[in-house]
Amino acid sequence: MAEKLRLKIITPEKLVFDGEVEELVAPGQMGEFGVLPGHVPFLSVLFPGRLRFKTEESEENTLIIHGGLADVKDDTVSILTDQSENPEEVDVAVARKDAEAFQKELDELQDAEVSEREELDKKLRIARARTGE
Amino acid sequence: MPSLKQITTKIKSVRSTRRIMGAMKLIAAVRLQKAQAALMAYRPYSDAYRDVVLNVAALSESEDHPLLRVPEEKTNLHVLFFTSDRGLCGSFNSALIRNMQRYAEEQNKVFGDIKLSFVGRRGRDYFSKSGVATGKYYTGVNEKNSRKFSEELAAALTEEFRVGESDEIVLAYNYFVSAISQRMTFERLLPLSAQEADEGGQESSSDYIFEPEKERIIGSILPKYVQVRIERAMNESLTSEHAARMTAMENATSNADEVIGKLTLLFNKTRQAIITTELMDIVNGTEAQRKGGNE
Repeated sequence: MAEKLRLKIITPEKLVFDGEVEELVAPGQMGEFGVLPGHVPFLSVLFPGRLRFKTEESEENTLIIHGGLADVKDDTVSILTDQSENPEEVDVAVARKDAEAFQKELDELQDAEVSEREELDKKLRIARARTGE
Repeated sequence: MPSLKQITTKIKSVRSTRRIMGAMKLIAAVRLQKAQAALMAYRPYSDAYRDVVLNVAALSESEDHPLLRVPEEKTNLHVLFFTSDRGLCGSFNSALIRNMQRYAEEQNKVFGDIKLSFVGRRGRDYFSKSGVATGKYYTGVNEKNSRKFSEELAAALTEEFRVGESDEIVLAYNYFVSAISQRMTFERLLPLSAQEADEGGQESSSDYIFEPEKERIIGSILPKYVQVRIERAMNESLTSEHAARMTAMENATSNADEVIGKLTLLFNKTRQAIITTELMDIVNGTEAQRKGGNE
């Protein structure tokens, strides 16, 4: 069993991260899940949220990802996401305001179509992930 | 022999053409750089997406999702053909069209009906004349709007495949190898067959875990896959176009330099010839006078 995981975080714009990690926690659609070396092959759809991983240099790294996919195979984890952000670069006050606005909109949404509801739900989750709460 | 005036006019016109070519080359070089950077960033994403989808497809049955349907009969082939909107890019479009024609002839032996859709004006202009059944047509695609266009196209093509209007969908585009080399590629977009997944070297272990269940995952990633591959093809084609234009303009500029050199030589020769003739006239004149005076 290998001792390290290889993590790749890929967006359409760039390869955000490619390196070895000891463990990671990702926001899966069925709840957060952790991956350690030696994990069985696994494919999950991700919600927008925070991805945390531990590397040799630093105990705790966090990235905000805007949904996507996680593919775990042969100790390699590929995260495919539309966009990723560094939490330190986020304006929390703006994000909080956004989250409140989306929440309100979602509450008032009565008989909208499923796709519209999902779209709004995604926006809300992104905003919440950005606030870090 | 042309007059000096004629030669100067010619040189001037070649010079101004050369300037335009030079400017176009610079523009193409800048656009190539940008497009290439975007493409190189997009490739890992789209390739990784493809790997994931092929892997899932290999572990699925064709009944799991309409996009995994394997048509029993191959009747309708739909080819999405990527060319450029504008010319002045060397043999970029003509080479694409030639290959496309050959491909269509080959596929005609298998499929009863071939439909062509176009991204880019050049391809459509050619094939609308030659009478091949033509489908949709998109123009004005560039690096900024390629996502929007690919979403629209993906929705249309997915629907077409779902209802069974097409049995196979193929992307035909120039794959960007380097600034001086592009390769025409025919990529089958749908159906996703298990055979192709095997070629990708995926082990079909049955202990793969899916979250949420496999059917839901397939439903959410397959339509996105179609969009990602179309956007990738657009980016490949655009980058190739800029590269082809840059090379063509580079050649045109050096050709113009050569022509200017030849014309300048001709100008100098002609001028020298005129001077010589005039000198001869004067010398002959004085000679004749002196001879006359001596007698």
